Amino acid sequence: MAFWFIALPLVVAGLLPLVGKVSKKVLPDILTNLVFVVLLAMAVSQGRGLIAQGPAVFDLSWFGEPLNASLTMDAFSLLMLATISLVSLLISLFSIDYMDHYGSKATFYALFLIMVAGMNGLVLVTDLFQIYLFLEVAAVASYALVAYGLEHDELEASFKYLMLSAAASAFILLSIAVLFGLTGSLSFAGVAAGLKTLEAKFAVGLCSAFFILGFGLKAALVPFHAWLPDAHPSAPAPISAALSGLLIKVSGVYALTRVFISVFGLTPVLSTVLMYLGVISMVVAALLALGQKDFKRMLAYSSISQVGYIVLGIGLGTPLGILGGLFHLVNHALAKSLLFLNSGSVQMSTGTRNLQEMGGLGKRMPVTAGTTIVGSLAIAGVPPLNGFWSKLIIILALVQAGQWAFALVAVLASVLTLWYYLLIQRQAFFGKLNEKWASVREAPFWMTASTVVLALLCVALGIFFSLTVKSWIEPAADALASGVRAVLAGLGMINFVI
Amino acid sequence: MVIQIVLLGGLVLFSAAAILFRDLLKAAISLAFASLFLGILFFLMKAPYVGAFEISVVAGLITVLFIVTIALTKMEGNVRESRAALWIFPIFFALFLIIDIAVMKSLVGKIPAVESAPESGTFGQALWGLRTFDLVGQIGVILAGVFAVLALFRKRRKDE
Repeated sequence: MAFWFIALPLVVAGLLPLVGKVSKKVLPDILTNLVFVVLLAMAVSQGRGLIAQGPAVFDLSWFGEPLNASLTMDAFSLLMLATISLVSLLISLFSIDYMDHYGSKATFYALFLIMVAGMNGLVLVTDLFQIYLFLEVAAVASYALVAYGLEHDELEASFKYLMLSAAASAFILLSIAVLFGLTGSLSFAGVAAGLKTLEAKFAVGLCSAFFILGFGLKAALVPFHAWLPDAHPSAPAPISAALSGLLIKVSGVYALTRVFISVFGLTPVLSTVLMYLGVISMVVAALLALGQKDFKRMLAYSSISQVGYIVLGIGLGTPLGILGGLFHLVNHALAKSLLFLNSGSVQMSTGTRNLQEMGGLGKRMPVTAGTTIVGSLAIAGVPPLNGFWSKLIIILALVQAGQWAFALVAVLASVLTLWYYLLIQRQAFFGKLNEKWASVREAPFWMTASTVVLALLCVALGIFFSLTVKSWIEPAADALASGVRAVLAGLGMINFVI
Repeated sequence: MVIQIVLLGGLVLFSAAAILFRDLLKAAISLAFASLFLGILFFLMKAPYVGAFEISVVAGLITVLFIVTIALTKMEGNVRESRAALWIFPIFFALFLIIDIAVMKSLVGKIPAVESAPESGTFGQALWGLRTFDLVGQIGVILAGVFAVLALFRKRRKDE
């Protein structure tokens, strides 16, 4: 079953150019959305049953012949798969109307599906080289998607992203090579077991530093964030949503968490480094967001700041901290995708991203304005929305661990977040309607429908936070905090042959 | 030993040529030769895993992608290219060598030698037997590259 999360999007991506010859828009729209519906249904309906007894290992076979390959699914990977499938489905629904004017929809969907296959692969493998491989699958597709509009700014942003991302990949690969040299293995279990018996603090420290640099660049943590404020605003809105909502979390936060918690083990030094990186990202990016006039650029800086919260929670390393970090990861994926999609609706209707040129758009685009308020308040951490609970859990975890200074900074950064999101509301949607926008209309059906669903999810996850945390987030946090040892030792796992 | 030195020399030579050639096609082919030399070196050093990947992916598939992409571009006569690479590269290369030697010197003796059996087997065994699932990732990267070329070199519609 797990293999389908990678194979299905890849196969459909390969078929899309042929489908595109028959039908330029309708069939690619239907086929892509259908893939995400199937993946979401598999994650939600079957996934939890499969991992009910612990992490599940899927051994791959080819016409009955066992292959030397397996995928592992635990509650953490399942949470990521469900988030990726859900957000991708809503982004893909939004793209039905939005991507019409870009042309060559089949190619766009193919690249998007490959990016999703890369992310799904990354969360299912337990081998360092395969982590790198799937990181590259998602990254190569995302370079092309950032440049998809083919304008000068987009090509420049894509090139900058490519260069910095290649540097990140080089550091990750170098670290993997050194670990392979040290332990003679590439699997999580083999490397973790090898490191336990090694007395090579310098080399292991060097690998950790390279991983932090590489994954920090992918997650756009300050000071490795330079590429993100260019790349995310330049991409078409659905891709900005996928990059900010999913890719930086999967290729940055997920990979960082897996490698440091599952392979190296979170030492006090590593924990401190991650917490400082998190808190610096949180504050610096929030301050930078305040000065932005470009709608999408402000959202991009906000992503860096919110990833800071996630890394702060996970870096703290306590069960409550990890729980808060993971919950914020899901909440931010939903809310930030919503906001980027709405920025796309505004840009499509007005032709601008400059907040100072907007004003009073709420009167002409009430659904977009309403859902933007929900997304903004959710990210800022206003009760009872989902972001409030995740931030509260992170702050409580910091207080519980006696990290008062970090807790105080997290609260203050949240105030800053509310400030710049209120600025967006005031400049874009409230106030007197700018005459230029008198003829502006609400976004088309699929665009508004997908943003309404995302807004409702932000509200629902806030109201039913206890249920969400118990059924999805807690098992994922447990898998990270304690189940990891089971994965490493190969104990208590259920085997499936597919 | 002589063969290894010849291969290493060829590797450095073709790598430098890949950077210094102003003609993109020649640069891509030089890179392919450099990868081929590196792949053979890996095989000689009893690392068929890496050799297999180096030759199949870098020397083979990536070169095909480069050549397809270059074939889709047009020659622009009036583009002035910076000649900075001619002097930046040697400086960068020298700096890299100094840092590399310094780092390696500090690592030697600190990294314990791994007691592992020498890798054995043929190209096929390495690729199909030991690292089967990596092929799925490779297919993903290649598909992404192909679609990236299709997306970036697509014709814009008249109404855009």
